[in-house]
Amino acid sequence: MTGFGRRLAGKLAMGLVMVWAVATFTFFLVRALPGNPGDVQYENYILMGMSPGQAQARVNAVYGFTSHEPLPRQYGGYLWQLAQGNLGQSTSYSGVPVAHIIGSALPWTVIPVLSGLIVSFLIGVAAGVVAAVKRSSRWGGLLSLSGSVVAGVPTFVVALLLLLVFHTEWHLLPFGGTSDYEAGWNAPYVGSVIEHAVLPVCTYALLSYGGWLLAMKSSVISVLGDDFILAAELRGITPVTRARYIGRNAILPLFTVLALSFGLMFGGSIFIENTFDYPGLGSLLLKAIGTRDYTLMSGAFLLITVAVIAANILADLCYTLIDPRVRR
Amino acid sequence: MAVTTATLGASPRARRPALLAFRTAVLRKPGRVVGLAIIVLFALMAVAGPWLYGRLEIDPDAVYAPPSAKHWLGTDFAGSDVLQEIIVGARYVLGTAALAALITAVLGTGIGLVAGYRRGFTDSVLMRITDFILTIPAFPLLIVLSTVWDFSSPWLMGLVLGGTGWGGMARAVRSQALSLRERGFLEAARGLGLSTRHIIVKELLPNIAPYVAMHLLLSTIAFVTAEVGLFFLGVVPFSTTNWGVMLNQAVFSGGALESPDALFYLLAPLSCIVLLTLGIVLFLDAVDELFNPRLRERA
Amino acid sequence: MSEVSVRSLTIEYQTSAGWLPAVADAWLDLRPGEITGLVGESGSGKSTLALALLNAVPAPGRIAAGTVELAGVGDVTRLTGKQLRKVRGGALGYVFQASQNSLNPLKTIGRQLLDLGRSHEVADLRALIARAKDLADRMGLDGDRVLDSYQHQLSGGMRQRVGIVFALVLNAKVLILDEPTTALDMLSQASVLDIVRKVHDENQLSTLIITHDIGAVSEIADRLAVMYGGRIVEDGPLLDVLRRPSHPYTRALIGATARIAGDVDAARALPGRPPDLTTVARVGCVFRDRCGFAVETCATVEPVLAAWEDGGRRRACHVEPSTVLSGASGTPAAVGEPA
Repeated sequence: MTGFGRRLAGKLAMGLVMVWAVATFTFFLVRALPGNPGDVQYENYILMGMSPGQAQARVNAVYGFTSHEPLPRQYGGYLWQLAQGNLGQSTSYSGVPVAHIIGSALPWTVIPVLSGLIVSFLIGVAAGVVAAVKRSSRWGGLLSLSGSVVAGVPTFVVALLLLLVFHTEWHLLPFGGTSDYEAGWNAPYVGSVIEHAVLPVCTYALLSYGGWLLAMKSSVISVLGDDFILAAELRGITPVTRARYIGRNAILPLFTVLALSFGLMFGGSIFIENTFDYPGLGSLLLKAIGTRDYTLMSGAFLLITVAVIAANILADLCYTLIDPRVRR
Repeated sequence: MAVTTATLGASPRARRPALLAFRTAVLRKPGRVVGLAIIVLFALMAVAGPWLYGRLEIDPDAVYAPPSAKHWLGTDFAGSDVLQEIIVGARYVLGTAALAALITAVLGTGIGLVAGYRRGFTDSVLMRITDFILTIPAFPLLIVLSTVWDFSSPWLMGLVLGGTGWGGMARAVRSQALSLRERGFLEAARGLGLSTRHIIVKELLPNIAPYVAMHLLLSTIAFVTAEVGLFFLGVVPFSTTNWGVMLNQAVFSGGALESPDALFYLLAPLSCIVLLTLGIVLFLDAVDELFNPRLRERA
Repeated sequence: MSEVSVRSLTIEYQTSAGWLPAVADAWLDLRPGEITGLVGESGSGKSTLALALLNAVPAPGRIAAGTVELAGVGDVTRLTGKQLRKVRGGALGYVFQASQNSLNPLKTIGRQLLDLGRSHEVADLRALIARAKDLADRMGLDGDRVLDSYQHQLSGGMRQRVGIVFALVLNAKVLILDEPTTALDMLSQASVLDIVRKVHDENQLSTLIITHDIGAVSEIADRLAVMYGGRIVEDGPLLDVLRRPSHPYTRALIGATARIAGDVDAARALPGRPPDLTTVARVGCVFRDRCGFAVETCATVEPVLAAWEDGGRRRACHVEPSTVLSGASGTPAAVGEPA
């Protein structure tokens, strides 16, 4: 096997272990909840007049395990269901598979997150280069400060301020839901979707802009001090080629930031979707907790974690492809 | 002048009066002084706030009153003074953040040092665990934990925040320990026959302390964000007055986004969080310069 | 006729104490077919002087006075922009020390050669690559393989040779090597020196080798210049200088080198430490504090570099050459090698 394949296999194995650990965590979490929700549900079904066998089958369908069985069997059954992609049934949406609910919420998180990431990457990296090159000037200092402050300010503060300015004060942008119209491929609907997405996307972008800027700045400063840049200058390389050398070498370490960004953004999605009343994964997780819908909660949390792990693996692979020192 | 050759082999830390160097660094730029002043101000608030205003006064005649000479930042839905609430609320916010920071410092430094010092099997196990903690999105985890964990006690809140937030610190400390090792620093100490305990406590720790301080300040921002966020989302029962509760009530009960009445009630905690962040960031600049000479400008 | 003539070159650095000279009033000639060794301890100003030949003194430094005349081009210190860029690499080839990463880690050697060719508007890139391969082959490398390699796939000695390929591929007539033997093991050192001698002879170059290792340079150079505290204190034909050092510092330096002195026990280091920018004497001779021959004048008047014998020897010292040569003074004693 090539080095690349081995690395990929290793990363995937590590990812699987992490998913397993998180699944185990949620399994025991739900069982540890005050008044084990499975038992409560079981009692309810009995009260509704089901036979113990029927009630147990129903509970099993919802949670993926029945609390009357011995623990190892419950755990094994839960993992087995999970391996087949079965996340159980929602209790608040009575009987709808959790996977379906999550599937319909997923795009409303993933698409804004990706758009925000691309926007913030482009702006943050460009600003980082300027902040590095002009680091002794007042403007460079201010630019770096902007990055540090934005990176530090909580997501909900950014979201609330944007909402306050662009919706409450200036009435420029709508909020609430994903669109004002029925879904369909027509201009008003698409336009409305875009309008509703502007504020969430901007918030996502601001969320990771500071990270890109600071990472790019320190990376450029470090590459500027590298011997090979001076060596290239002493060989009379053109300024454009020199800039390309610096750019490519400086951007490489940013793939670790990319991985961090995904985690940050999926975490931030809870605030952003809650503030803008946007029906994505974050909203779903929050709603699940509000309605004590524990299967939905476990499913949403598991999926958020899987998304972050997958993004991490992807970022690592990109890094491997670009850096010949790792590729080999 | 060997301008092109890097200086190698210097002692990792020049023994100079640390306090003096610190003062010089802070005083070099006015922004850093401002940052330190902001941090000190909030710290005073947290310490003295609840003594200043033991019980919040309620003025039913002045609900959502605009700022006035009597109520500098206006009042809330119950007619309480917003400024008083901010000052009283600082203790919970900063107290839990400080506790979480302490736990992070102990766990992160301990794990990072052991991993960096031991290397090999211990290192890879510890770093796998650290990667795991770092990869799991922290805030969703906190929300899920809120279903079983009682966050209303500041102690328990601090404990969970610290217990889930030490990953970054452990990584930073480990890489610093490794780089000290690479510079032949540890071999030298071991060659002198010093004990492992002595090397870690007396030699490694002082050299790593600055990085711990930097990450501690950064993680304090994250902790404040996380706890205020939990209250803002309303997943934690409101047991005390704090900035997060204020935000939640301003947005979801006060309708601050629709009507200007509750605007000051919303903006006051928001500004405090931004100001605290700004203070820490400005002050970090000084710490950064002290211990990260490569970022220091030439000339 | 010299290829490069350095005339009264002074280079200053900005420090908290103001502008201080790192190189003061340096005169130096590099002639075709001649290898000049420039020796000195770290901090003596030799690297700064070498970079000034390419008008590449790094900030916060500046060329405060003097000229660097390059045959057929003019004063390099006056060049800017594209003209300067063309001279770097085109006429003056500079080779970094082996431990330094002088190549872009993300591109193959071949692609970087193409970048170099395009930067210098070489019309026939194919011929350029062919010449690079030829140079590499003649230095004992596998040209085809090396051009397809990344820097991290090459050893220190190979990088050093690739550095020479880059310096000479555009037919530069002046070759400047910064510490070519540092960070290499003894075998690689010898082979790099052999290779330098070989390409130097084949291309009729004017070569400057900057080093702290007087032993290494003594095996290859034709002329020797010695720097101390930013001043060239002595220069002349290599063997003559080695046999009859006329400056107390040269004498001490040779005495401290086991390779020349014959055996380790005979080697004696200079007591005291070399000065840096801020500690170097502003008045009088920069070496007087460590000098066993110092007289009263040394404290007040700075000696100038002046010819003193036939055969192109120069020295900057108040003490009579015969006194230094006979060694009639309390010679400093300690053991070690200057670094």
